[in-house]
Amino acid sequence: MENKIYFDNGSTSWPKAPRVAGAMSDLLTNGAFNINRGNYEGAYEVEGIVLDTREQLARLFHAADSRCVIFTPGITYSLNYFIKGFLQFGDHVLVSGLEHNAVMRPLRQMEACGVTYDVVRTQKDGTVYPEDVEKAIRKNTKAVIMLHASNVCGTVLPIREIGEICRGHHIFFVVDTAQSAGTIEVNMQDDGIDFLAFTGHKGLLGPQGIGGFLISEELNSQMKPYIAGGTGSQSDSLDMPLDLPDKYESGTMNLPGIIGLHAALSYIEEIGLAKIHAKKMELTRYFLERVKEFPGIRIAGKTEVGDRVAVVSLDFVNADNAMMAFELEQEYGIMTRVGLHCAPLAHQTLGTYPQGTVRFAFSAANTMEEIDRCVEGFRELLSV
Amino acid sequence: MPKIQHYVLFPNHDNGMRLYKELKKLGVRATIAPTPRAASKCCGISLLIEEKDIDTIQACIDEHGIEILKIAAIERDINPKRDRYC
Repeated sequence: MENKIYFDNGSTSWPKAPRVAGAMSDLLTNGAFNINRGNYEGAYEVEGIVLDTREQLARLFHAADSRCVIFTPGITYSLNYFIKGFLQFGDHVLVSGLEHNAVMRPLRQMEACGVTYDVVRTQKDGTVYPEDVEKAIRKNTKAVIMLHASNVCGTVLPIREIGEICRGHHIFFVVDTAQSAGTIEVNMQDDGIDFLAFTGHKGLLGPQGIGGFLISEELNSQMKPYIAGGTGSQSDSLDMPLDLPDKYESGTMNLPGIIGLHAALSYIEEIGLAKIHAKKMELTRYFLERVKEFPGIRIAGKTEVGDRVAVVSLDFVNADNAMMAFELEQEYGIMTRVGLHCAPLAHQTLGTYPQGTVRFAFSAANTMEEIDRCVEGFRELLSV
Repeated sequence: MPKIQHYVLFPNHDNGMRLYKELKKLGVRATIAPTPRAASKCCGISLLIEEKDIDTIQACIDEHGIEILKIAAIERDINPKRDRYC
């Protein structure tokens, strides 16, 4: 990776936290025993680390109890658990105009089963006003599903206010924390979240393939396990156990992933969210300032640093965005993500459909010098 | 004289690990073991404990809201002479 600049942390973070690779390697080398199955000390030791990881996640998201922490391969799986395990014929759902296809595709599938949805009015910079959410609620609205921060433009939605509205209307509140977990505070209890979907490989600095959800007691009492199978518990029964976390954790778990995530969360606890966020926003502020030097670049979404995460999408007005991304990588070693970012709805809202944008997503490991090199690349490619 | 052993039985592994962790903090001896088949058809883990610690363990269970099935006294059932008649 010499002379390369990684600005694709919205897809997955890199570098991962220190000790992640080592912890995973140790497990695979010294005994990748299977928990909830193996009856020997090695398996119990791994089981202890899995419990510690649940407790770390419960602390991070301020959950009432770590039993409500469920591991899945990631947010897409988690959202499918909710959308297909809870929603039924006649139910109505509200989403924002920034949603990822992890929400929209399963919802579209559920339309065939009689579930309907509406997109809450969303401003061109990605802002969602809580009063617009309230206005869109119908008698049969069962849930509001919203991302916390946009994976396209970085805009942060006011989840605390929206959570309060949901509570007032007895509607479940589902939050996708793909771009916010590990950088800004998410408080499951204070924000009124019933279902919090997280992934381990972005802001949490862990490996790909591990994520999950946290579920409130009330929602859990009404949600079915979408995936069923062996759990290593109550094996005398042909029915799924109702105890958490087993109810939603059938099949062999991604233990190397959980062990890696444990190492990553330990690192984040050591450093602290505030410090990580401050560094990312310092980089974002500087990048936004420098980008404004170019009249031929349009910033999708908010142009200032408030109410956003370190995800910035640029539309190169006088160039093909894909060609810009390609040349930034070929000539300057700058890695970005170009296109629609699995979020066509968001691009329609932001006015960048169908051309898409080039996305720059920073981590705390990036530097001002890297941003300067990137801006220099813009200058040369755009011949300013 | 058959030896009686005491086990805490759980609905799932998660609760078993929780209690194990709390007992370790308290310095109470407990060993994770497969659930004896005589105690439950359910697979999973149990904690093999000492009889003298039962009250402390019950208090710990109550304090931390740990779900258990029961604390069972079970005869140690390993008999090399079983089904041997000569």
